[in-house]
Amino acid sequence: MTASQLLTVGNLTIDLLTARTAVRPVDGVSYSLNRGETLAIVGESGSGKTVMNFAPLGLLPIGVEADMSGSVSFDGQELIGASSNDIRALRGKSIGFIFQDPMSALNPARSIGRQIGEMAELHLKMSRSAADRHALDLIKLVGISDPSARMRQYPHELSGGLRQRVMIAIAIAAEPKLLIADEPTTALDVTVQAQILHLLKDLKKRLNMAMVLITHDMGVVAGSGDRMVVMYAGRAAEVGPVERVLTQPRHPYTMGLINAIPRRTDLVGAAFRGLPGVPPVLGRPLEGCGFAPRCKFVLPDCSTNRPHLAGTTDPSILAACPVVNV
Amino acid sequence: MTFVYACRATLSKVPPLALLAIGAFVFLGIFSSWLAPYNPNTQNLLLAGQGPGADHWFGTDHLGRDTFSRLIVASRTSLVGVFLVLILANTVGICIGTIAGYRRGWTDEVLMRFVDVGLAIPSLIIALAVIGIFGTSYWNMIISLALAWWPGSARISRGVALNIMNKPHIEALRVLGASPLRIYFFHLLPGTIGAVLVYATADAGAIALAIATLSFLGLGIQPPTPEWGQMLVDALPYLEGDPRQVILPGLALTFAVIGFNILGESFALNRVPAPMSRRMLVSRRRVTASWKKVMV
Amino acid sequence: MISLISKRIWQSLLLLFLASVLCFSLVISAPGNVAILIAELRSPIVSKEDIAKVAEEIGLNKPLPLRYVGWLGDAIQGNFGISYKTGEDVGESLEKRLSITATLIAGGAAFALMGSLFLGFVGALYAHRMPDYLARGAALISASTPSFFVGALLVYAFSVALRIFPTFGYGGPISWVLPWTTIGLLPASVLSRVVRVGLEEAMARPYVLTAMSKGLTRSQILFRDAMPNIIPTYLSALGTQVGVMVVGAVVIEPMFAWQGVGELFLTGVRFRDFMVVQACLLIFITFFIVVNLTVDVGMMLTDPKLRRQRS
Repeated sequence: MTASQLLTVGNLTIDLLTARTAVRPVDGVSYSLNRGETLAIVGESGSGKTVMNFAPLGLLPIGVEADMSGSVSFDGQELIGASSNDIRALRGKSIGFIFQDPMSALNPARSIGRQIGEMAELHLKMSRSAADRHALDLIKLVGISDPSARMRQYPHELSGGLRQRVMIAIAIAAEPKLLIADEPTTALDVTVQAQILHLLKDLKKRLNMAMVLITHDMGVVAGSGDRMVVMYAGRAAEVGPVERVLTQPRHPYTMGLINAIPRRTDLVGAAFRGLPGVPPVLGRPLEGCGFAPRCKFVLPDCSTNRPHLAGTTDPSILAACPVVNV
Repeated sequence: MTFVYACRATLSKVPPLALLAIGAFVFLGIFSSWLAPYNPNTQNLLLAGQGPGADHWFGTDHLGRDTFSRLIVASRTSLVGVFLVLILANTVGICIGTIAGYRRGWTDEVLMRFVDVGLAIPSLIIALAVIGIFGTSYWNMIISLALAWWPGSARISRGVALNIMNKPHIEALRVLGASPLRIYFFHLLPGTIGAVLVYATADAGAIALAIATLSFLGLGIQPPTPEWGQMLVDALPYLEGDPRQVILPGLALTFAVIGFNILGESFALNRVPAPMSRRMLVSRRRVTASWKKVMV
Repeated sequence: MISLISKRIWQSLLLLFLASVLCFSLVISAPGNVAILIAELRSPIVSKEDIAKVAEEIGLNKPLPLRYVGWLGDAIQGNFGISYKTGEDVGESLEKRLSITATLIAGGAAFALMGSLFLGFVGALYAHRMPDYLARGAALISASTPSFFVGALLVYAFSVALRIFPTFGYGGPISWVLPWTTIGLLPASVLSRVVRVGLEEAMARPYVLTAMSKGLTRSQILFRDAMPNIIPTYLSALGTQVGVMVVGAVVIEPMFAWQGVGELFLTGVRFRDFMVVQACLLIFITFFIVVNLTVDVGMMLTDPKLRRQRS
C-alpha cells in the first residue's frame, strides 16, 4: 500500500446472517482509494454496495450479523477482525457518514444545534458553548440560510435539502479523512441534487477529504467521481477512472448501463435501450459470471468459470470479463 | 372469522407460562368442588393454626379450616366473579361502543363523553363509591365493578367498529340494500365481539385483583365464602405467628395475575428486531460454511 | 398552540361538569331518606314535623337543577356538609388529611420515577442479556403482586422480623419508607416497562444508525438519542400511575394507620356515610382530571412538532 492510498479493500467477502436467511452480498471485491480522491461505487439496488461500506465499520442493523473475510485497510489500520471499540473510535472522528434519507436519519426530538454540536464535544473535546459556536460555523459552512435560528430548530422544520446539509455538517464536524456518502442525493429534488453535490465537492477540497460516493445514478458519477467501481451481483465488474470507464467501458454490464442512458440525439418516442432480464437476487454465491444470463457476449465458459478483475487494453481500467478483454 | 379459527389463532400466540397460570386458575376454579379435600367452611378450633402436615397440606387457618381447600375454592369465587363482571361490562360496553361507532355524529359525541368520564376515574374508586352509596353485597360488588369496566370496553369496541365500518364491504352491503339493522347485527357485531373478547381476557387479571382488593377491605366477598383477598385480611392479625396464612393466598393471587399480565403483554405487538440467538447464528453459519471463497 | 391548549382545558371543564353531575346523581339516588338521617342526628326522637322541617331546610323539595347548583356552589367553597356518622364537618376533616395523602403520593411517585428509570434503562442497556431478563422478571412480579400483599410482606420482613421500620403510624421520615415502597412498587414496575419498551423501539429507529456513525457508545445513544423520544409516552403513563396511586392510598393508608383522604373515604364507604363518600369522590375526580390535563398540556408544550404554531 502506497502512502497516498487511504483505503485499500482486498478480496473482501461479506456473509450476512439474519434470523431468516444467509446471503453473500459482497463476494471477493478489491479496490483502493487515494487521499483526496472521490471513488464512486455504482450499482443497482441489491448489488451489495451499501453493505460493503457499512459492514466493515460496524454499522449494521440489530438482528443482522456479518462474517467478513479479506482485508479492509484504512490509513494503515486493518478493520477486518479489529475490535468493535477500535472500529467505533474511527467512526465520526476519522470517517464521516452521510445517509440516504435525511428525514429519518436525524433525531426528531433533538434540535439541529445539539445534533451537530455533539460531534464537536465528542471528537474535538470542546465544551458545550464552544461546541455550539462550532456548530454554528458548520451550519454556515454548509450553506444553510439563517444559521442562528436553525440552531434551535428541529428536523421537521427543515426542507429535504436543508436536512441533507445538516447531515453533511454532522459528517464533517470532526474533519474526518474520509466521507462515506450513501446515495446522498437520491431522496432530493433534481435541482437540489446539483447543489448538494457541488457542496460536497467544495468541502472535500477545503478539508482535504477523500470520499466514497455510493450511487446508482450515472449522472452523479460523471459529475463528482474521480474513479469508479461498478458492482454487479456482489462482485466488482469494472474499476477505473470515471472519464475512461464512462466513455470506453470494458464490461458488458457497464456498456449496457451507459448505453441505456437517454441521449440528446434520441428522437421523442424512440425505443428504450435497457438491459434485458433482472439482476440476480442475493443469496448463495453464484457459479460463474453473475451477468451471464443477461449478457450478449456470453460464451458457455462464462456460466462455470467466475471471471476475475484483470487488465484491459486500457492500463487504468480493470474489468472482470475475459470475453471482451482478451 | 369463525370462533374456532379465532381460538386457535390466538392460542398459538399465547406464551406458555401465561397459558399455564391461566389454565391452572380456570381448571382449579371449575373443578374445585372435586379437588378440595375438605369442606372449606368446616371449622375445627382444636386444629386451628397448624402448620403443613400430612392431613392438611397447607395447614389450617385461625378457625381450623383447611387452607388448601380454601385456596382452591377461592379460585372458583374469583373465576365466577371475574366472569360475571366481564360478561356484564362487555355487553354494555360493546352495545354502547358499536352504536357510537355505527351512528357517528351526535350519538357518538354524547356517548363518548360518558365514556371519557368513566375512563377519567380509576375503576376501584367508582366501585367503592357505588358500594359506599348502595351497600355491601355480592351483586353490588359485581355491578359496581361492571360499571367501572364498561367504559374501557366501549372505547375499544368503538375503535373496532369504526375500523369495520370503513371497510369496503360495508359500503357494498348498503348499496345492495341491506337494512341498517342487518348490517349491525350480522356484520358489525360479530367482528367487534371477537376483537373485544381478546382484550377482555387480558383485563381479567385486573378484575380479579379488584375483587380481591374489595374483599380485603371487607367490602367484597363476605365470609365464609373463601376468597384470596379476604383470606389474607383475615390472617393479617396473626401475621407474626403464622405468616403462612397471609403468604399463601397472596401468592395464589399473584400467580394468577402474573399469568394474565404475561398474556396482556404478549398482545402488545412488539415487532422490534432483536439480536440473533446463538443457536440461530450457528445454524446460519453452517449454511455459509459450504460456500466457497474465491481468491481474486 | 394556544388554541390547542384552550381546547384541552375546555374539554377538562366539560369532564368536570359531567363528573359533578354524576356525583350529584349518586348522592340523590342513595337509598334512605336524607332528611330522616339528619333529623335523627339532631335528636333521638323524631316526629313527622321535624323531618318536614329538615327537608325544607336542606332544600329537598326544590327542583333537581336548583339542588345541583346549590350542592355545587357549596362544594366549591369547601362546604361538603356534615358527616352523618361522626357529625364532623367534612370539609375540615379533608383539609387536615390532604397533606398526609399528599406525602404518601408524592413519596410513592418519587420512588416510582427513580425506580422505573433505573430499571428500564438498565434493561435497555443490557438488552436481551441477563440483567435485562432479571429486571423484566422483577417488574412483572411486582406489577402482579397486589398492593396489600406487598404491604403485608414488607411489614413482616422489615418491621416484624428485622425491626428496622415501624409497623404503622405517621411520624417522621422513617415511618414513610414502607408506605412509600408499598404504594410506589406497582407504578414503578409498570413505568419501567414503558421505559424499557420505549427505549427498545427508539433504538430500532434510523437515527440510531446515524448516532452510531458518529462514534457514540450504546449507552450514550440510549441516553442522548433514545431517551428524549420516550418522554411524552412516559409522562402520559406517569399521569395514569398517579391515578393508580390515589386508589392505592385507599387501601394502604388504613394498613399503615395513616389518616389521609383515602382512609376517610374508606371509612365513609364502610359506614355508608355518603356525605363523606361524595365529598371524597369529588376531590378524587377533580384531582384526576387536573392531573390528566397537566400531563396533556405539558406534552403539548414540550412537543417539538408543535413549535411551528408557536412561531
